[in-house]
Amino acid sequence: MKNILISLFSIFIIFACSSTPVEKVEVQETKTVDLTENTQSDSNDSVVMSDVDLGEAYVTVLFDYDDDTLKEESLEELFAVSRLMKSNAKYTLLVEGHADERGTREYNLALSERRAKAVEDFLTATGVSSFNIEVVGYGEEMPVDNRSNETAWSKNRRAELFFIR
Amino acid sequence: MKRVILLFFLVLEFKADLVLEITESASKPVKIAILEKNSSSLIGQEIINVISNDLKRTGEFRVLGMDELLSIPINEDEVIQRDWLLLDVDSIIFVEVQNEDNNLEIAYSIFDISYNETEDKRRVLGLPDSLRQSSHYVSDGIYKYFYGIEGISSTKLMYVTRNSDTHKLIISDADGFNEQVLLKSNNSIISPAWSTDAKEIAYVSFENNRAQVFTQNLATGQRNLILSSRSSVSSPAWSPDNKDLAFTSTKDGNSEIYIINLESRKITRLTENLAIDTEPAWSPEGKKIIFTSDRSGSPQIYEIDVRTKLKRRLTTEGNYNARASYLDKDEIIFVHRSKTDFNIAKLDLGSRNLEVLTSTKNDESPCIAPNGNVIIYSTKDGNLSYLAGINISSKVSFKLPALYGELKEPAWSPFLR
Repeated sequence: MKNILISLFSIFIIFACSSTPVEKVEVQETKTVDLTENTQSDSNDSVVMSDVDLGEAYVTVLFDYDDDTLKEESLEELFAVSRLMKSNAKYTLLVEGHADERGTREYNLALSERRAKAVEDFLTATGVSSFNIEVVGYGEEMPVDNRSNETAWSKNRRAELFFIR
Repeated sequence: MKRVILLFFLVLEFKADLVLEITESASKPVKIAILEKNSSSLIGQEIINVISNDLKRTGEFRVLGMDELLSIPINEDEVIQRDWLLLDVDSIIFVEVQNEDNNLEIAYSIFDISYNETEDKRRVLGLPDSLRQSSHYVSDGIYKYFYGIEGISSTKLMYVTRNSDTHKLIISDADGFNEQVLLKSNNSIISPAWSTDAKEIAYVSFENNRAQVFTQNLATGQRNLILSSRSSVSSPAWSPDNKDLAFTSTKDGNSEIYIINLESRKITRLTENLAIDTEPAWSPEGKKIIFTSDRSGSPQIYEIDVRTKLKRRLTTEGNYNARASYLDKDEIIFVHRSKTDFNIAKLDLGSRNLEVLTSTKNDESPCIAPNGNVIIYSTKDGNLSYLAGINISSKVSFKLPALYGELKEPAWSPFLR
C-alpha cells in the first residue's frame, strides 16, 4: 500500500503544482421501449405465428445432455409424422428446439436449434419436403419444468413438433 | 416501427433498486473517515453518504461512522494526529460542497494521517440533479488514489429481469439506484452488450418468436434489426472501435460467426464448420475474436485472427468451456464445468494455467468491469437467479440478490467519463 501511495504521491505533486484537477459530470438520458402493449409486431420477420396459441405439441422428442442425436425411442413417432406429411403435402410442421438450463444461454440456443434441425433432417431423409418444415431454437428460455434437477432437465431437453398448417 | 415510450415508467420503476451485499471483504481494507469541511449541510451529508456506501460496497474500505471517532476536525488544521493513529486510520477525506448558481461543486482532499498532510486535492463539477453521479466520481477518485486502479462507482450495469411473463432490459447505476427500463417485452431478452462509446446497446430479443439481434440508441430508443433472416441471429459483440458487430447466425444452415460492418452493412463470415460456433468476443485491440465451438465434441474456446482467419484452440481442461471474454490480452474468463458445477474460470494464455474463480453452482454470463478487476456473473440459488461478483485483486466477493423474479445477463458499461 505504501509503495502505491509513494508512487502516486509523486504524480499528484505534479498535479497539485498546476491546479486542482477538475472533472465534469455528464448525465445520460434514456428512453423506454415497451413491446408488451403492442399485440402485433410490425416486423415482417415474424416467421412463426406468435399470436396463435399452438396448444399441445403433436409430438415431443427428448435428448441427452449436450447432445442433438435422435434417440431410438423417438423414431417410431417421427416415422408416423413423416407418413402423415407425405400423405398431405399441405401440412406444415413447426419444430421448436429447447435446452435445459445448464451451460450458457447462447450455446444452448445453438444446441436447441440443432435438436430441431435433427428432427427436420430425419423427416427430409424420409422424403418430407423441407419447404414444409420450419425450425426454430429457443435455447433454455422456455423450460416445461422450472426446477433445477435431473428430472426437470431431461424434460426440458426436447424438440416439440406442431402442425401450423 | 411501433413503439410506446412511457416516461412515467421511470418513476414507477425507481423502487426496484438492487441491493449489493458483500459476501467476503478484503483481508486488510483501507480505514478512512469522510468528513465535511468547514460546515455541516444536508446536501453535504447526502453526498458523504453516497461516497461512504460506494467505498463500503467495494469491500476494500472500512469507513468509520461518526460515533466511532475520537475527535471531529472541521478542516486539516484541526486534525489531532494522535486520535487518528489510535484508531489506525489511514486517511481522512475532507469534502466541501458548493451548491449555487445551478452548479454543484464537490471539492475533496485526502489527508494522510501518518504523513500528517494533504496528499491529493480534486474537484468534481456537475449540475444539481447529478448529486449521486457527482458523488460517484468522488468515490472513483478516492478509490484510484488508494488502489491505483480506476474506480467503477460511476459506471452502469445493464441486466435482464424476469417476473412471470414480463421481461425487462434495465440499466442502473453501479450501486443499483436510478433504474431505467430500456426494453419491456413478453418474450425473452438475452445477451445484452454495450457499444464501446456507451451510446448504444445490442441484445437478442425473441419478440418475433425467433432470436434476433437489435441495436438500440439509449437516448432516443431508436431500434435497428441487425439482420433480417428466417434463421436465428444472436450473441452480438461490438468491436473495440464500434464499427463492427460480431454475431452468430444459422442463416447458412449451421451456427457460424459473422462480422457486420455497421456502416456498409457488409457481412464477413468467420467460421466454416459443421459444429456449433457461437459466443464471439473481441480481443482488446480488435484483431482477434474468441468463440465457443463444439468441433472437438465438447464446447471449447477457440481464437481466430479476424484478418488471416487462423484459428487456435485455447482451452483443453474439462469438457465444457464456453462464453469467453478477454480479461486483458493475455487472460480470458469463461464458464467452465468442474465436475458437476458450472463456474467462472480464468485462463492464462501464456502459461495455460486455469483457475476456477467461483464456487456457486450454476454460474454463467461472466462480464468484466471496465477497470478489468471486477467480474460480475449470474448464478442460481434454488429456482431464483441473481447476480454475483468477485474482485480479482482483493478477492472481495459480493452478490446482488433479486428483489423479485429473476435477475440475469449482466453487462457492465464502459467508463462513462
